[in-house]
Amino acid sequence: MTNLKYRLLLIAGLVVASIWALWPRTVIERVKRDGVFVFDTVKRVPLKKGLDLQGGMYLALEIDESRGAVVDKADALDRALKVVRTRIDEFGVAEPVVQKVGDNRIIVELPGIDDPERAQAVVQQAAHLQFLIADESNALERALPRLDQIAKDLGGPTSGGALGDTAKKAQVSGLQKLFTPDSGSKGADSAKADSAAPPAPTTGGPISSLLQAGQMPGEFYVSEANAARAEYYFSLPQIQAAFPPGKTMKWGADTLSVGGSVYRTFYVLDSRPILTGESINDANPNNTPIDGTVVEFQLDNEGGRRFRTETAKHIQDYMAIVLDDRVMGRPPVIQSAIGTRGQITLGRRDLQSAQDLALVLRAGALPVPLKIAEVRNIGASLGQDSIRKGTTAMVIAVAAVVFIMVVYYRFSGLLAVAALVLFVLYTLAVLAGFNAVLTLPGLAGLVLSVGMAVDANVLIFERIREELARGKTVRTAIDEGFHHALSAIVDTSVTTILTASVLYQYGTGPVRGFAVTLIAGIAASLFAAVFITRTFYLAWLSRTRGAQALSI
Amino acid sequence: MFRILHDTKFDFIKWWRVAAILTVAFIVLGLGSFALRGGVNLSIEFTGGTLVQVRFAQPPDPADLRALISHAEITQFGDPTEYTLRLQGAEAIAEQATTAEGVAKEVETLLKTKYGDGFTIVRTEAVGPKVGEELARGAIIAMLLASLITLAYLAFRFEWRFGLAAVLSTAHDVLVTMAFIKLAHIEVSLTVVAAILTLLGYSGNDTIIIFDRVRENLKKARKEPLYDTLNRSINETLPRSVLTHVTTLAATLALLIFAGEVLRPFAWVMAFGIFVATFSSIYVASPVLLYIERKFPRKESAGKGLYVSAGQARAESKAEVESPPKPIRGSKAPAAGRR
Repeated sequence: MTNLKYRLLLIAGLVVASIWALWPRTVIERVKRDGVFVFDTVKRVPLKKGLDLQGGMYLALEIDESRGAVVDKADALDRALKVVRTRIDEFGVAEPVVQKVGDNRIIVELPGIDDPERAQAVVQQAAHLQFLIADESNALERALPRLDQIAKDLGGPTSGGALGDTAKKAQVSGLQKLFTPDSGSKGADSAKADSAAPPAPTTGGPISSLLQAGQMPGEFYVSEANAARAEYYFSLPQIQAAFPPGKTMKWGADTLSVGGSVYRTFYVLDSRPILTGESINDANPNNTPIDGTVVEFQLDNEGGRRFRTETAKHIQDYMAIVLDDRVMGRPPVIQSAIGTRGQITLGRRDLQSAQDLALVLRAGALPVPLKIAEVRNIGASLGQDSIRKGTTAMVIAVAAVVFIMVVYYRFSGLLAVAALVLFVLYTLAVLAGFNAVLTLPGLAGLVLSVGMAVDANVLIFERIREELARGKTVRTAIDEGFHHALSAIVDTSVTTILTASVLYQYGTGPVRGFAVTLIAGIAASLFAAVFITRTFYLAWLSRTRGAQALSI
Repeated sequence: MFRILHDTKFDFIKWWRVAAILTVAFIVLGLGSFALRGGVNLSIEFTGGTLVQVRFAQPPDPADLRALISHAEITQFGDPTEYTLRLQGAEAIAEQATTAEGVAKEVETLLKTKYGDGFTIVRTEAVGPKVGEELARGAIIAMLLASLITLAYLAFRFEWRFGLAAVLSTAHDVLVTMAFIKLAHIEVSLTVVAAILTLLGYSGNDTIIIFDRVRENLKKARKEPLYDTLNRSINETLPRSVLTHVTTLAATLALLIFAGEVLRPFAWVMAFGIFVATFSSIYVASPVLLYIERKFPRKESAGKGLYVSAGQARAESKAEVESPPKPIRGSKAPAAGRR
């Protein structure tokens, strides 16, 4: 029977194709070895596991407008997406996902990551780098009386200076002691610092009483206890309006501890940057004996030219490197025109953070600040648990279904079970073929579709039984059974596929995985029940010509 | 041949009244609880908030945990060493407005003060309020859309009387399942919504299979009232219904027992839903179909022998049972509960 031959050939062909689709293959992939990611060839079954099975991190990011509205959001998000993608690509995760969802969100999936906080920092850091020249004109000192007056008129969070004059003086001398060897070692700049150092402010205004002049022009110290109040004053719009024109103030990134008390530094700087991070070509972390952890950067040609001319204008001035509104390290003095290379001092921070900073500098600044709208972290051990439990449930479900079918339908049940095995194989192959992601709800969908897959067979078998009971021959009963059951089978499959498609459209992550496995499962079960079981029957009929009884 | 429930002649529809009372009572109970005790238990995916799943080295004392992190809802999660901490309150969400992950970090710091290194955080989820709103809206749209699509398909495949009855019975299933979710305090997450949607398809299936048989039996043009045709169709498809539900239930029970805590709410909803789907295809879809056929009788039915003005026919053939229009009028009851 040629018809039968073609049927069997088709089934066999699909089996071969499915096995091929599921055969473990060698892929080049970033894998973690001894804590570092390296490219390596691994052999694995080409079925993608979702984050909930593999462990990893999921982030949804939105434009943060808490610090000012963003005009062209769509454009900003596109640019941010590019930056985040570059950063993540360099971050070293096997198969990361970075994509835009809707028009206001970026999602990032990092499978197998074990340091979520670091990943988050890398994604979220603005990495806005600026080179600013420190103010040489005592601009803040001259403006202080005016600022004090404004602060006084407005009234502060508490009245008057908290620090007594004597205490303040003691602290100032302590500070000077600490920094003497430091500035001494720098030779030229200490002389400059001394000559430019303004007299320590002694007036008792609400702002000036918080500040102490630092070691270089434009540098000020605020004790940790007063830092919040100083920040409050400087954030007042009235104070900002009265700030010396063309100047800006930036807090230092690190704190200083002097004789048990902790100080924060801030700097008054020219507000126009001589260069920004956009000109950075390359950046690498390094550990130097003098400066500790640093990030060395290299500028592109144009940036280098500009940097050279600008720094030539400012020899013997101090240059602050401002990263995300914080001055990194102490601003160094410009000895001579600087070309294309420079470094950012990170002080006490470790090499890992230097690595991350170098990475974000290479990838460029985020055009808009991003905030985290959703974050999920799944530990790898939990993922393994889920796989184990899901597989157990699957095996037991299949065993139960096989048992029921064989006990109830005997020989025909065996045929159905054979079709069921092919059904599972095809479903997995379809999932692999479409690059679908297997999630825990997806496993549930698979288990469920095993239960539903036999439904079609049950419908057909019951129908055949009825036809046999009406006294039809085996062959006619089988034909009629398939014929009459078909419309119901198609209807049920279509309704389930329709709802699953809706689910796919509106679901996220794991639920999508569920919808996909359900659709693949139903499509495969339709084929398994209607085509494969039928073929088995045809094969059986052609072997036992004129069969009088059917075990069903 | 090993057969169960073969050639049965149960008068299923006779019991519609009991069934209607049961199902309406259940729905009313669910909705009542909904009205009196507030909404369902929504997961953080929908409300926004933070969930931290912690695995302790030693089973901790839940009272200790509650004292330590008083603002969290603390539940054991499967294993005695595993707990989930849920922070869904308004403050927790407000705190999240700045950083979504901040709350989780806070919890970790608090746990460290008491348990040192004796715990690992195996899962954290933090969802901002805006994302939650969107997901909730998406879930509702998905449910409505799925219902509409199912309705359209059924209306297209069957003629509208059948389609309407099938849709009403499906709606009944979703409503009863929701009452179950409320009464059993199942947390509604996206996976549970997925289960409800799957049920939507599944419960349609059962009705389709019975109606398919009804359609076939009607074509045979027997002089038989619809009441009897329905009963006969249900009886004829009974072995299939039972067997299919046994296999699907077996698969679902395997999930419930072996697949772990994460899938348990899903498995509960599926298991219950499968049971309800069988029930409704017999006791909701069929009486509703009877009612619709009586309200909107087919014009051509007399001529073609499609003997479906069920009320009269039933009265003629089975005079010994109570007069049928009553049960038919009464079959409004489940429909009324739905509105």
